[in-house]
Amino acid sequence: MVIKLENVVKIYRLGKVEVPALRGINLEIPRGEYASLMGPSGSGKSTLMNLIGALDRPTSGKVYIDGTDIARLNDDQLALLRRKKIGFVFQQFNLINKLTALENVALPMWFSGISRSRRMRRAKELLELVGLGGRLHHKPSELSGGERQRVAIARALANDPEIILADEPTGNLDTVSGLAVIELLEELNKLGKTLVVVTHDVEFGKRARMRVKLRDGMIQDIEGINHA
Amino acid sequence: MLDYLSFSVKNLSHHKVRSFLTLLGVIIGIMAVVSMISIGSGMKASLKEQLEQLGSDKIFIIPRLAYGTAATTLTDEDADAIERVAGVAFVSPLYSVAGDVGFRNERKIVKIYGIDPEKAEATFGGGASGYRLLKGRWLQRGDRYKVVIGYGVASDVFSRDVNVGNTLKIHGVNFDVVGVFKKTGDREKDYTIYTNLDTIREIFGAGDKVTMIIARIDKGADIDQVRLRVERRLEKRKGSKENFFVMTQKEIIERVGEAYRVVQVVFGGLAAVSLIVGAIGIANTMIMNVTERTREIGILKATGASNAQVMKIFLTDAAILGLVGGGIGVALGYLISLAINTAAARYLGEGVLTTSVSFELVLFALTFSLVIGVAAGLYPAYRALRLNPVEALRA
Ligand SMILES: Nc1ncnc2c1ncn2[C@@H]1O[C@H](COP(=O)(O)OP(=O)(O)O)[C@@H](O)[C@H]1O
Ligand SMILES: [Mg+2]
Repeated sequence: MVIKLENVVKIYRLGKVEVPALRGINLEIPRGEYASLMGPSGSGKSTLMNLIGALDRPTSGKVYIDGTDIARLNDDQLALLRRKKIGFVFQQFNLINKLTALENVALPMWFSGISRSRRMRRAKELLELVGLGGRLHHKPSELSGGERQRVAIARALANDPEIILADEPTGNLDTVSGLAVIELLEELNKLGKTLVVVTHDVEFGKRARMRVKLRDGMIQDIEGINHA
Repeated sequence: MLDYLSFSVKNLSHHKVRSFLTLLGVIIGIMAVVSMISIGSGMKASLKEQLEQLGSDKIFIIPRLAYGTAATTLTDEDADAIERVAGVAFVSPLYSVAGDVGFRNERKIVKIYGIDPEKAEATFGGGASGYRLLKGRWLQRGDRYKVVIGYGVASDVFSRDVNVGNTLKIHGVNFDVVGVFKKTGDREKDYTIYTNLDTIREIFGAGDKVTMIIARIDKGADIDQVRLRVERRLEKRKGSKENFFVMTQKEIIERVGEAYRVVQVVFGGLAAVSLIVGAIGIANTMIMNVTERTREIGILKATGASNAQVMKIFLTDAAILGLVGGGIGVALGYLISLAINTAAARYLGEGVLTTSVSFELVLFALTFSLVIGVAAGLYPAYRALRLNPVEALRA
């Protein structure tokens, strides 16, 4: 299993108020799987994705990414794990506005210590892969929503991670460009990447082989896999 | 490293207004520091230079004048008595007075020194004390109604230049100008008329009074002991120590030094205030910078940047702002210091205040702005780093 969660609980503390976002999640996602994560707003989808993406630590329970429990890692080790194993795609794109598409895609490779010429070459290849070969030197503000999300996907691929996580990648896009983004992600899954997509869109959700439904911080249902 | 630089340059040029405002804060702070310190050290330097010209082998005897009385109690006989004190080589009496001086149809108040030319030369060793003749000759014993004038008197006091061969009317009496001194840079010296002691005392009805006695000690004599002997001799002659001072160069420097310390504290204080202003300027923008970029920190972290890498990005920004701002600040401070020099030379006189921007000052200012920049960036960046990426992205 490339992703494995055991009794994962996440409680946010807002002053004295405790907000339980995840209440005991057990989930296994095999290598190369295509999984969708659905559920009403506030059901804990993003919280779960952030844990899988090593952006946050659980309050209790274990989150194994490729066999490593992230709760045991320090900040630097978490950064290294994100850099090597995870490609994150966000609903709000989260591109850096002052950098060009090329520079945004090259960013994760900078942190990996890859030489400037190599990372620029690879960034260019990745942008060509997502169909933006003609937009290398555009800034995010000069790109459409769909184009921005494709830049974000190219960036997620930069360090050739095993896992692509996409939290509502189509949430800010129109139907046509949303579909294009989903198809691009599926393309990557076909190339062997483990893909987890959070979506509101039932049609998109249904396209995944493994479909996880969340409700109130708990798994309500898992479809498409024989779960013991 | 180059990547951090280019990332910072992109960031700073993206936020032009903010970067400019930060730079401005740094520039103003550093500019103020550099110009304040240059004035302070310039004052110190020119004061020191002037005092050093007095000579370390001389003793100065000056009357202690009660307020409102212009009368000196020192006389030629006192000077002669001092000359006989063991350890004293030569004595030069001086009578100084501010008198009205006419040239053509202009009349000005000018300072006049009455001296004994031979004694003065013996005491000051000819060309010592910065005097050099530009034109004409020096005074001779027995010269009557002859003057040698300072460069300022020759070129600046009257609307037309005064030259050798011209006549000045001092207190209604005609004097021939026989010599003009070169510029010494010392306003006191340049704007003075020099003439024979007896002549000037006669004109002003000063009898045998002198306003200062300068004694040069024997080579190798202990100046403090000679000073004491001079003081004792005068005390015996005058009945008390109340009406005169006997000072060495060292004591004068100490006395002036006390006054100077006040000046130093004032300028030091102003410099300190500008340092603080500069520091606050940098700190303020760095805090703004980091706060505004919390989300960017989240993005950097989510794409795999370690805390150290994010920190480096921010510190590079801060260092660039500090160094560039510091550099411009130093340059402007230097220009201000030059302008002060020009203004001081024009309005206060040459050599009264020569500000100086030393290499050490430049180095200090640059280091300071760099350190302040980095230090100011450190804390907010550290705070932002403690947020986990999820919290940072929600910003
Ligand atoms: N950083 C946070 N601090 C406090 N509460 C949070 C935070 N993030 C999420 N929550 C709360 O946790 C619950 C789950 O949120 P989230 O995981 O974002 O849900 P979803 O992505 O399914 O809409 C919600 O009630 C939300 O308000
Ligand atoms: Mg969400």
